[in-house]
Amino acid sequence: MSKRLSQVSLSLVAGTSCRDVSDVELAQGLAAGEAWAIGVTWHRFAPMVLSMAERALGSRSDAEDLAQDVFLSIFQKAKNLREPEKLRSFVYSFAVFGLKSELRRRKLRGWLSILTPEALLEFGQRSVDVESRDLLRRFYALLDRLSARDRLVFSLRELESMTIEEIAEVMQISVSTVKRSLAHAVARLSHWIRTDPGLAEVFDTQRWQR
Amino acid sequence: MTRSNEPKEVRPLSALTKLARDSVTRPTSADLDRGLTLLFARATARKARAVKLIRWSLAGVLAAVCTLLGFHVASVMRGREREQPAVAYRVEGGSVLAGGYLRDSGDDGVRLIFSEGTRVELMPGARGRLRSVDQEGTRVVLDQGSASFDVARSHQRRWLVDAGPFSVAVKGTLFTVSWDPPTERFELTLRHGSVVVSGPIVNGDIELRAGQRLVVSLPRAETLITEEPPNAPAVAPNTPPSLTGPDPEPENQPSRAGSATASDPAQSPPSATARRIEANQVERKPSWAQHLALGHWDQILEDAARSGIDRTLETASSEDLFALADAARYRRRTDLASKALLAQRRRFAGSARSLDALFLLGRVDESRDRARALGWYEDYLQRAPRGTYAAEAWGRKMVLTHELEGRAAARPIAEEYLRRFPKGSYAGAARALCGEP
Repeated sequence: MSKRLSQVSLSLVAGTSCRDVSDVELAQGLAAGEAWAIGVTWHRFAPMVLSMAERALGSRSDAEDLAQDVFLSIFQKAKNLREPEKLRSFVYSFAVFGLKSELRRRKLRGWLSILTPEALLEFGQRSVDVESRDLLRRFYALLDRLSARDRLVFSLRELESMTIEEIAEVMQISVSTVKRSLAHAVARLSHWIRTDPGLAEVFDTQRWQR
Repeated sequence: MTRSNEPKEVRPLSALTKLARDSVTRPTSADLDRGLTLLFARATARKARAVKLIRWSLAGVLAAVCTLLGFHVASVMRGREREQPAVAYRVEGGSVLAGGYLRDSGDDGVRLIFSEGTRVELMPGARGRLRSVDQEGTRVVLDQGSASFDVARSHQRRWLVDAGPFSVAVKGTLFTVSWDPPTERFELTLRHGSVVVSGPIVNGDIELRAGQRLVVSLPRAETLITEEPPNAPAVAPNTPPSLTGPDPEPENQPSRAGSATASDPAQSPPSATARRIEANQVERKPSWAQHLALGHWDQILEDAARSGIDRTLETASSEDLFALADAARYRRRTDLASKALLAQRRRFAGSARSLDALFLLGRVDESRDRARALGWYEDYLQRAPRGTYAAEAWGRKMVLTHELEGRAAARPIAEEYLRRFPKGSYAGAARALCGEP
């Protein structure tokens, strides 16, 4: 168990007995290149990263790809973690950074392509009815129109329920910038929803007057 | 986001947000295990890529190091090739004083014998200096009197002899040179090899071939080049040609006895060859070529005028036409020289002299129409790229192009000249045009 990461032959190491280790021990294990720490870190934080990425991107497969990249980066940079007790924040920062990069890439691809690609919805196992799926497709199409920062701020605030301060810290921007960005995103999304004939029709019905 | 107090228009957004939030489920244990397996696979692939990248980087660095090492070794080898062993010399019959002054200890003159095989002998009464002896070459200054030089041929070292205002660039040869300051008379007799003499000479540097003798008299502004038989005994330097004494008769007279330029050639003393030719005049009338060698250029011009210039141009032999052109050139009768050369071209097209006439037409026209002269040189180089006057034609073309079209236009010609004639008589001017030190 004390082999260094670079020396082990790679295999699935998901020892359940190690899942009760603290974040500090886990961070120390990662920093020391312990093979067991990889599996434990994955099992502990991957659900959080996967869910957040899926909600922000609207795609399970994109979220899985992003999680892979995020954890590979985490394992590479674990030695730089000076405060082991902040492992969760460390992972979150990497996830947010990865999300931001992915959203920027998508934006760039959208600018470079002649036709704006249609938003692809690909959620996980939960069955979503056809009407809701259509609404979500339209909603993510609107999110795609936001800037990468506005979209990320909106996602962290409204989909992940993070506080303004937490968002500012994890995105390394000021609180006022977060507020401004959030207000901008909400205003634009509301305007687009109002002016979207398909959405306006849906929300005029009693079903959504909750 | 479904807050009771939020504005009506925000409610649809809240509803959509809630829908998006609720539509995502937590990944199952199987999902996580699959993800972890994939993570390990990607880590392995990334590591392999990193190893490959490192290997290629190392290979690149190694290749760069090898290349640099190769260049370094090559430059060191080249440097070693350039490093010539220091030239040593010994002095016989005298000694070398401070400043390189050579002082004889007896009546036999001073002799310098160099380790490379070169021998320098200062005749009795001559004064000279050994100005420099280094890996670049050797430079000897002849202040007064005569000296003979037997210079070993070397591509790496240059040999220079300064005699008064004249400078002789030596290319491996045997010659005697004399300089008499009171009369300002310079004389060089070349036995074999070649030298380039520069100094206050009317038409610039002169390249001498084996068997030629150059006499320059500065007060009389006279330059005379005559042919000496290659096997003739060495003429005592500093001795006037008229005092040379009887020489054995040459079996064959040179077809073109020599060429010379002078401002007042009629008063020039006849050379040894000239005297020999004069001796033959008893038996037969001298040809124009012989007149030319004797310096009797006015005689040639008078003969031509007596016969009629036009008739001469149409009937004279190729050799006589050339002699007439030379005599006219030396007498600054450029029109007549030009006509003679053009007649040579027209009547004897295809002959070697016809090609030479092209170059000489350039020389004639340089004094009156440099653009046309440039055209003659280009024509000559096109027709005879390896001709007798090729080096001279390239040099004159470079000089004229510089004068007519500027430095930028002349630079490619200078580069070509240096490529073809790195040690030619225009090499210095070419390097100056190329910006080389």
